[in-house]
Amino acid sequence: MSTVTVESSRFGTLEIEADAIIEFPTGLIGLDSRRWTIVGEITDGPFQWLHSIEDPSLALPVTSPWAFFAGYEVALSDEDTARVDAQEDTVVFVTVRAGSELSDFSANLRAPIVISGGRGHQVINETQDAPVRAALFPEVAAETAAA
Amino acid sequence: MLIITRRPGEKIMVGDDIVVHVMEIVGNSVRVGIQAPRSIPVYREEIWNAVRDENRAAADAAPQDLPVPSERDA
Repeated sequence: MSTVTVESSRFGTLEIEADAIIEFPTGLIGLDSRRWTIVGEITDGPFQWLHSIEDPSLALPVTSPWAFFAGYEVALSDEDTARVDAQEDTVVFVTVRAGSELSDFSANLRAPIVISGGRGHQVINETQDAPVRAALFPEVAAETAAA
Repeated sequence: MLIITRRPGEKIMVGDDIVVHVMEIVGNSVRVGIQAPRSIPVYREEIWNAVRDENRAAADAAPQDLPVPSERDA
């Protein structure tokens, strides 16, 4: 199978198989790239990277929302539902904002990334309780606040 | 910037495919309907800004910034 080589600024040389490339027809909000891949395995831990194919220095840590937020729900507008066109292989990620302390780590529950059939979309979650910055380690954040 | 005056019920065309419909005005709010092709997502500006900021902040991270699972138990 054909592969694409990305000289990643974070991970060195990546050989991406053609079927691991995810097309984002409208990109990610505010980031100028349409073709991405996932770096890292679910078995490696809670975090993977959504890595641009087009920009070797562009990558975002992502996680499965359910790894941290068991009751997480996604409700989409009719337009986003049609855009996503969910299939059986649909997976959902949320972007992770890293911090200098664990208490500063957060995930964006408002704008999950839905990948289905080799295509990805960053969509707006219409659910009421879906903050842009949800603490990933709230127990640590609570301890820090109490200290 | 193009500035025009519209009354409720009137519309604006953006190119051939995007229709902005001024539906009603209640107090200091305007209800706007937007018809756009599926390839053009429509966002409330403040949400678009917030998500852009989160995306850019997330993209600043280096692999060593992320905690390893054992660190969470420490």
